[in-house]
Amino acid sequence: MTTSIRLVRAEIRKLTSTRMPLTFLIVLVAISAMNGVAVVWGTDMDGSKAFISTAADQRSLMAFAANAILGAALFGAVAVAREYGHNTVVPTFLAAPRRHRAFLAQLTAVSIAGAVLSIIGANLVVIAVAVTLPTTEYGFLLSAGALTAVIAASAFAGAAGAVLGAGIGVLVRNTGGAVIGVVLVLFIAPPLIVQLASGASSWVPNSLANVLSGVGHDVSRPAAIAALAVWAAVPALVGLLAVQRRDVV
Amino acid sequence: MTTIDQRRASVPASAVERRDRSYALQVEHVTKRYGHNTVVDDLTFTVQPGRVTGFLGPNGSGKSTTMKILLDLAAADHGHASIGGVRYRDLSDPARTVGVVLEPNAFHPGRSARKHLEILADTAGIATPRVREVLELVGLHDTADRHVGAFSLGMKQRLSLAGALLGDPPVLVLDEPGNGLDPQGIRALRDLLRSRADDGHTVFLSSHLLAEVEHLADDLLVLNQGRLVTSGPLQQLQTAATRVRSAAPDRLSEALRAAGALVESRDGPLVIVRGVPIDVIGDVALQAGVALRELVADTSSLEDLFLGWTGRGSSMTDHTTSKESAS
Repeated sequence: MTTSIRLVRAEIRKLTSTRMPLTFLIVLVAISAMNGVAVVWGTDMDGSKAFISTAADQRSLMAFAANAILGAALFGAVAVAREYGHNTVVPTFLAAPRRHRAFLAQLTAVSIAGAVLSIIGANLVVIAVAVTLPTTEYGFLLSAGALTAVIAASAFAGAAGAVLGAGIGVLVRNTGGAVIGVVLVLFIAPPLIVQLASGASSWVPNSLANVLSGVGHDVSRPAAIAALAVWAAVPALVGLLAVQRRDVV
Repeated sequence: MTTIDQRRASVPASAVERRDRSYALQVEHVTKRYGHNTVVDDLTFTVQPGRVTGFLGPNGSGKSTTMKILLDLAAADHGHASIGGVRYRDLSDPARTVGVVLEPNAFHPGRSARKHLEILADTAGIATPRVREVLELVGLHDTADRHVGAFSLGMKQRLSLAGALLGDPPVLVLDEPGNGLDPQGIRALRDLLRSRADDGHTVFLSSHLLAEVEHLADDLLVLNQGRLVTSGPLQQLQTAATRVRSAAPDRLSEALRAAGALVESRDGPLVIVRGVPIDVIGDVALQAGVALRELVADTSSLEDLFLGWTGRGSSMTDHTTSKESAS
């Protein structure tokens, strides 16, 4: 087994040997339940259920990619920052003193976990909507292709979000600080960027996630994929440089 | 830590070769600064294989930083450190070459001891059956599936030791390994480290348990404010000192140093002399024309020596002091 595969396996074992994935799963179940509740009891301003009346509306409701970015970013940030908080990064760097290998393994593991959690989340939301739609006058209108696109978008957004979060986590090295960092990058920074350059609104993570899910058309899908990858790669690359240069104290 | 039987069933042939090699640890002119604070100051020493080397110093003297530099966890501003002649990061299989206990709480509290070690084994490419062996070795086999968060300090220390022994490495670098251990644990640790050194392995440990170091160490390195204040074989350093009170302590000190003695200035007319027999001190004083008022053999414990080296700001100079090899 090569060093890289070995390290990725160890990182996946780290992620699956605590309650953190279970906590995120519980949150995903709660989110999907809220979608179900919205379908059963929710109405538009005029009291109608127009928000589920067309395939496009239902697609909007089930588009999970934007949630996936945020959720997976929090997951990645917490997973990496707690390694420093608990000093468990020390034995990792002792076994893999070429630290970039260890960090790349960590990025791979959290991106896989982010994608998997996001796929689960997207599926739970789809199931919740599908199960509750019969309580309304509308049927399930999404085609298999649209459904696949929604789930694939969630998977990619989740992987990218987790990498973004991991980059922030390794820079901040403190769980609370990393969570605040994610909120700053995904909630506070985008509106400020849009205020400074109005044309940038199409390139903030939420807009890009909506393009991937097929509910937004500001940019092309390949451009959205590339842009989201850049959002993830920038903090990860800065984090990689920091990991290699910084003392582990 | 109920047994010191070093089971090596799952250790591959390459590890046996590695185990049979000798690894000296070398620190050469290492300086480390954090801002304006010099934590390690032009430090040079060698830790020899086949011996237990104790690394002593007050809190903040730079011991842990030196160990981190040796293990490539911190970068030196100047100088370099190596293990068997190569930097830690260049070791072909670091986890099977160096076993490390550094941080007292390097565990996720929600993970079991077994899972923690399995992750370390995965990271290092060590076969999982070795996890069971080291758990038995440190006496944690019965509690291996409990969360580490529920462990006492002593149990965590045993788990750290289990991690250090996972790759059956020929070098052990241990920062305060006895912290929190019960008397049985300390005895077992001492036996384990002694047997490792007797097998030709390199054992480098820092400790504040001076009585333990006194029992265990062959060589000593003593740091104070980032500088090596003394080093050498413990037996030699502990050689009974002589209390000498004279009318001209400065002149006598100079003459004694010229005769190869280690001289520690104390209050007023008193100096503590090591490294030369008591009758030689008398002869030197006579030749220097210094009248003696007291000439008494002074047998010091390691604690007394340690406080003399580090706690009283005493000046010590001689051939075994800074920038020399530990042996």
